[in-house]
Amino acid sequence: MSADPEPTSAVIVDDHVAVAAGVRYWCEQAVPPVRLVDAAGALADVWTGPGADADVVVLDLELVPGNPEFGELRRLVDSGRRVVVYSQHVDNATAIKCIELGALAYLTKREGAEHLVPAIRAAAEGLPYTGPSLSGALAADDTSTRPQLSPREMQVLRAWFASSSKELVAAKLNITVKTVDTYITRVRVKYANVGRPARTKSELVGRALDDGLLTLAELNSAAAPTPRERRRS
Amino acid sequence: MSGDAAEELARSQLLRGLRIATLLVAAVIALALGGSHLVRSLDVHDHVLVQVTSFVMLGAVLAGEAALLVLRRPWGRLRRPAIAVVLAASVLSSVTLPDGQTSTTVDWMFGAANFVGLVVLLDRPLRIVGAFLATHELIAVLNLVLLHDVTRDALLRLATGSVNVIGVPLCVAVGASAVRGIHAAALASRQEIERVRTREAVAAEAHRRRQHRFAEIAATSVPLLEGLADGSLPPDRPDVQRRCAVEAARMRRLFAESDTVENPLLHELRHCADLADRKGVVVEFDARGHWPTPPLAVRRELTDAALTALATAASWARVTVVGDADLVSVSVVADCGDVEVHDPASADVRVETFATDDMMWIEARWQPARQGTPSRR
Repeated sequence: MSADPEPTSAVIVDDHVAVAAGVRYWCEQAVPPVRLVDAAGALADVWTGPGADADVVVLDLELVPGNPEFGELRRLVDSGRRVVVYSQHVDNATAIKCIELGALAYLTKREGAEHLVPAIRAAAEGLPYTGPSLSGALAADDTSTRPQLSPREMQVLRAWFASSSKELVAAKLNITVKTVDTYITRVRVKYANVGRPARTKSELVGRALDDGLLTLAELNSAAAPTPRERRRS
Repeated sequence: MSGDAAEELARSQLLRGLRIATLLVAAVIALALGGSHLVRSLDVHDHVLVQVTSFVMLGAVLAGEAALLVLRRPWGRLRRPAIAVVLAASVLSSVTLPDGQTSTTVDWMFGAANFVGLVVLLDRPLRIVGAFLATHELIAVLNLVLLHDVTRDALLRLATGSVNVIGVPLCVAVGASAVRGIHAAALASRQEIERVRTREAVAAEAHRRRQHRFAEIAATSVPLLEGLADGSLPPDRPDVQRRCAVEAARMRRLFAESDTVENPLLHELRHCADLADRKGVVVEFDARGHWPTPPLAVRRELTDAALTALATAASWARVTVVGDADLVSVSVVADCGDVEVHDPASADVRVETFATDDMMWIEARWQPARQGTPSRR
């Protein structure tokens, strides 16, 4: 999809040296490779120096144990950075909160190169990436502010979570892999359209409308499920 | 428990009988006999009012015992004052005796206060009764030595009188003490019997539960074990190895079922997955959402297909649970061969399988019967 000769670049903020080294290895092995800047756990390096120019920020949510960096995530998203959250947290609430704050992807550290590299590539283009664990979190989301999802969308989310293989999901549900992706992206667009506005989220919604992934009417019905919701935004 | 209560009741009824009998004896001896001696010797006494007062004091203590008997209460905190009253009456009556009348029928108190004191102290240990009787005797001795002429006659009267005054109440006290001892022993042995019965009941229940659980694996595990034992199922055959793996997982699940955990479904699935993990199969395990705890039978059906797939997986398996109040779905994707899936017995559970060339995907879904919990969607 990308026509530019410049390789995708990403900056990783993670205080675990082994994680940073592992991600660097995955990025170098990727075809085409991803250029990785290691901010070595220092958030300042994301804003200045080579890290400031990186297309994607790979953020460890818990640089200080027990204190997730939601504020930093919000600042990054508000200044238009494309963020992939890479976290050891596996609970639903954290995953959904990151998505609501405008992260383009949320991956748990159990998910390896097969999800992180595609997530970085998608984020570099301003597209969301939904890994199986985030898919499960969205399928099990029972907060009152969740957007309305169609039964088919729920089915795809569950199947992607269960199998972690889009080919299997497609084969089981008798659809193409592209359609599987479409359903998942539609869910993400619906999520992007609720909650607080963020630059990457509005870009995402605009893009989904441009591509005809969703119609304005669908978006409105998905975005206004409850009166409480309106008060919140 | 009820045995203890019945025993206590019987014990208190028996001791109550003893109390009533002692009270009657004391009333006859102290009030009737002592009273008649007092009345007949009124003209001999120098201090009639004091004698009558001490008689009333004894009468009051016996009336107190009668009242407590009706109320079915022990003396408790009133015991010391009551004994003080009895001893005071004994002292009052003794020191106001006319000269040379110690241990005669005029000294009515000598043979009366001892029984009244016994009534008050009947349920106390023997040494307390002994101490009281000794005090009573000491009053009589001191009275004789200090206030009267110590004659040979007086000493003889004291000696012969003391045999009755101390001996009879002491005999009654010994009898009461023996009865109490027997009942304490009976109570202890009854409690021991109860304990043994409880232990037996617990053991029987544990055995019954084990039998029940054994029956659950007997249908599948026992033929396999018998086959292994008689050689009809050689362990080097792949299908036999498969059956062994499945049975081992089934047993692990059975053991996990009796654990008290917050989320039994996940707990049991983890045990199923653990076995695959030990075989070197890479198991990914993930669960999302909150769901009501399924009943044991449903949990078995939800985990059964997963168990088989996990036990026979070659190198990789992904186990996931996703659920909410309306639907719980357990999925296993694994590189196992064809897995035969039994139709679930419960109408609420559905099992679907999907196979590709190298992967098997088994999904078991449970839709809890409507219990009035409104769906959020």
